[in-house]
Amino acid sequence: MSLRVYVIAYLIFLYAPIALLPVFAFNDGTIIAFPLSGFTTQWFTELTQNAALHAAVRNSLVIAACTAVFATILGLCAARAGAMSDFRGKKGITGFIMLPLVLPEIIVAVSLLVVLRQVLGLSLGNWTIIMAHVLICTPFSIAILNGAFAALDPAMEEAALDLGESRWSAFRLVTLPLVMPGIVSSMLIAFTISLDEFIIAFFLTGANPTMPVYIWGLLRFPSSLPVIMALGTILVALSILLLTIAEIFRRRGVRRAGGTDTGGFL
Amino acid sequence: MARRTSLSPDQTRSITLLGVPFAYALLLLAVPLGAIILFSFWTQDFMTVDTTFTTANYREIWDSPIYGLLLQRSLMVSGIVTAVTVVLAYPVAYFISFHVKPSRKSLWLFLITIPFWTSYLIRVFLWKVILGYNGVINSGLLELGVITEPLTFILYNVNAVIITLAHAFAPFAILPIFVVLEKIDRSLLEASQDLGESKFSTFLRITLPLSMPGVVGAVLIVFIPTIGDYVTPELMGGAGGKLIANMIQTQFLQLNNAPLGAALAVVAMLCVTAISLIFVFLNRKYLRGRS
Amino acid sequence: MTDLITLRGVQKYYGDYHALRDINLTIREGEFFSLLGPSGCGKTTLLRVIAGFEGVSGGTVMISGRDMSDVPPNKRPTNMVFQSYAIFPHLTVGQNVAFGLRTRRDIAKSQHAALVKEALHLVGLDGYENRASHAMSGGQRQRVALARALILKPKVLLLDEPLSALDKKMREHMQVELIRLQRHIGITFILVTHDQEEALVMSDRIAVMFAGEIGQLDDPETLYRRPNSRRVAEFIGKMNFLPAQVTGIDGAVTLDIAGFGVTQVPHVQVPEGAVIGPAAVGIRPETLAILFEGETASRHETTATVDEVVYYGDMTYYDVRVKDVPEPLTIAMKNLIGRPVLEVGAQTRIGWDERAIVVF
Repeated sequence: MSLRVYVIAYLIFLYAPIALLPVFAFNDGTIIAFPLSGFTTQWFTELTQNAALHAAVRNSLVIAACTAVFATILGLCAARAGAMSDFRGKKGITGFIMLPLVLPEIIVAVSLLVVLRQVLGLSLGNWTIIMAHVLICTPFSIAILNGAFAALDPAMEEAALDLGESRWSAFRLVTLPLVMPGIVSSMLIAFTISLDEFIIAFFLTGANPTMPVYIWGLLRFPSSLPVIMALGTILVALSILLLTIAEIFRRRGVRRAGGTDTGGFL
Repeated sequence: MARRTSLSPDQTRSITLLGVPFAYALLLLAVPLGAIILFSFWTQDFMTVDTTFTTANYREIWDSPIYGLLLQRSLMVSGIVTAVTVVLAYPVAYFISFHVKPSRKSLWLFLITIPFWTSYLIRVFLWKVILGYNGVINSGLLELGVITEPLTFILYNVNAVIITLAHAFAPFAILPIFVVLEKIDRSLLEASQDLGESKFSTFLRITLPLSMPGVVGAVLIVFIPTIGDYVTPELMGGAGGKLIANMIQTQFLQLNNAPLGAALAVVAMLCVTAISLIFVFLNRKYLRGRS
Repeated sequence: MTDLITLRGVQKYYGDYHALRDINLTIREGEFFSLLGPSGCGKTTLLRVIAGFEGVSGGTVMISGRDMSDVPPNKRPTNMVFQSYAIFPHLTVGQNVAFGLRTRRDIAKSQHAALVKEALHLVGLDGYENRASHAMSGGQRQRVALARALILKPKVLLLDEPLSALDKKMREHMQVELIRLQRHIGITFILVTHDQEEALVMSDRIAVMFAGEIGQLDDPETLYRRPNSRRVAEFIGKMNFLPAQVTGIDGAVTLDIAGFGVTQVPHVQVPEGAVIGPAAVGIRPETLAILFEGETASRHETTATVDEVVYYGDMTYYDVRVKDVPEPLTIAMKNLIGRPVLEVGAQTRIGWDERAIVVF
């Protein structure tokens, strides 16, 4: 019983910051502190009028969408290879691809910066962030898609081959529909990570900041803080929505492939 | 013999497929990591990079006390954050694995992961709101009459950094422990109790040792990335709470001394890797010693 | 019957593991052929080699006189029923059955519905076209798998342990149905199974495999009555082994069997190339008999002590000790009316027949 109390306290700890977001987003005061001073939707209205923010959001959406697509394609390759025959060195190679999962993000950021700027002399832009985000999102995609492929009976594709389909059409007609929920889930997760990623984006951003980079700039100006709270509220709501959809698809994928659910994104 | 080394068609396809993400990781991870090591042996004067090989950067890191101090503090903060996070997370993972109905487990994991996916910057900033001079904790305690003056030791120092990071990495610690706990054969626990152990001693003698791989995973997945975070120390740490990652960031983006920044990154990475390897090694030895 | 499938010197390596060792085999048109053996003996690998899912490391596979080396599984005249059935969960029963028709340019689209109906009728699933496939029971899924394979009218149907996922009653029912189906459509069935009873019941011929080799290939009766080696004899049914001496091989073979004495058997019961010297004889439990009061043996008898009694209802299995025989012998007796069940320790006479003896 005491364990249950502890777990509930832990959940409160986990949710405390997020719970405060809407509180201050609707608070009619420029200082983010107690006591509260009244209800307003002014900060949300201001959000709609901020052109620089809109540009940053658009930027981030483009980056996140590209990242989601490319990371999922790479993840599909790796997860499908993972479900196929073993060969010498397969574990090591997979481990190396999964490395960004534990690598400090600042290392990824500075090493890419060095290569792109100093070695290749390229100018930074959205594509440099996309490249880095694909790198760090691919391990997540692989983890999700591995789950989808592991739940898949390898005889399914063989059955399609046996019934006259070529390798590609067997993949298209049988495997792809069965892992499709995993693909959707992987894209949503990669999208969410990319949308929120700051550490790498800050190093690799070009002339146009991403949304987190823009927020980082605003954090220095106390007057803009309530607007950030309003933005944060929307982002949290959006994240929860995306994640719920991702989770539903992931579960459906496991079920459709005939497996039992073991739960979790990782 | 040729037939023994030749690959089956399935293996060939597998290699080709894995080759795509591998090539990508090689190009965008291995090559840059190599470049940064190379770069750390060069020097830079404002905009011009001198490519003569020199260990000057490493000598400077060794000689100036500031780098050693920051590195030490970083490792300490990461260490404490890791310990706090893992110790706090273990009971939660245990609870979900042992006390939650199988059909509800996914929902619980989902609950745990949601805060992790919401805007990192804003989450860190909100801790400032909670811990600040006029923050939630201070106004709450003042209101209740527990304190007469706002507490100041909870913001703009290392404590604040630790609390915030421990919060940020919570799901990273819970998930690996949970996965390992799930794999423990429940009949082992019944067998232990059947052989006369109490519930608590069963936990100590069976559950805990069997869950160590998950704990090790949790430690690594928290310890290594925390070294690379500069957002939390920047926002929460104040002057005395800056860490090595802040210095790396400063060298790259403000002081334009990329080679020194690269050398710092290399040193930080080596320290983290070394500590992680020692930890894994000691843990293996300990587990082997038990069995 | 004409030959349909010919395997010549087929070898298969997985790394250093030698999964198939020089397999030579001919399977005839229209026969029910089984690959029987313990797990890991290579029977499934052999089936997958025939289907084309596994390449060979050496040797050739011919189907209808055509070398299959470069023919991928989707171009072979074989279709398979998988152990897991591999029913596509995202398609209906009808779509599953029609799956293979998509690539068959020789069959008009307008015919598809009729063919599906016919195939479902063949397996007793009339009217199941629009059912969701994931809601089917194990037995039904197997029928769908059969219909899906048979709709393509393959020359060979490959069945990979198709009954292992079913419960005992369902399994016995499906055994009979599969035999009927095979007789009805008349194509070759190749069945992989580890269940010797299943193989005996269903097959025209059986290849018994051990460690990547074929130990014996024969019809069920020969396999049971004249196993060519101890391991075949032990794998199929139960057999008692007794030490013996071959003392003469002119005309008939003269044997001196421990505890049983001297007897003569015709050459067919002795392996080719037998020489004078020590040997082992095998004798099945049901060919031995406990002799109750007033009964006499038709050929020979000897005395024994009951060591163990296992009562099965319709049968009783006795383990008896015979002087000079190192291991107890198992005897299977029908529990006929009025026949008592002996107690452990009882002295009894047992009858045996030299015609039932196999020499190894």
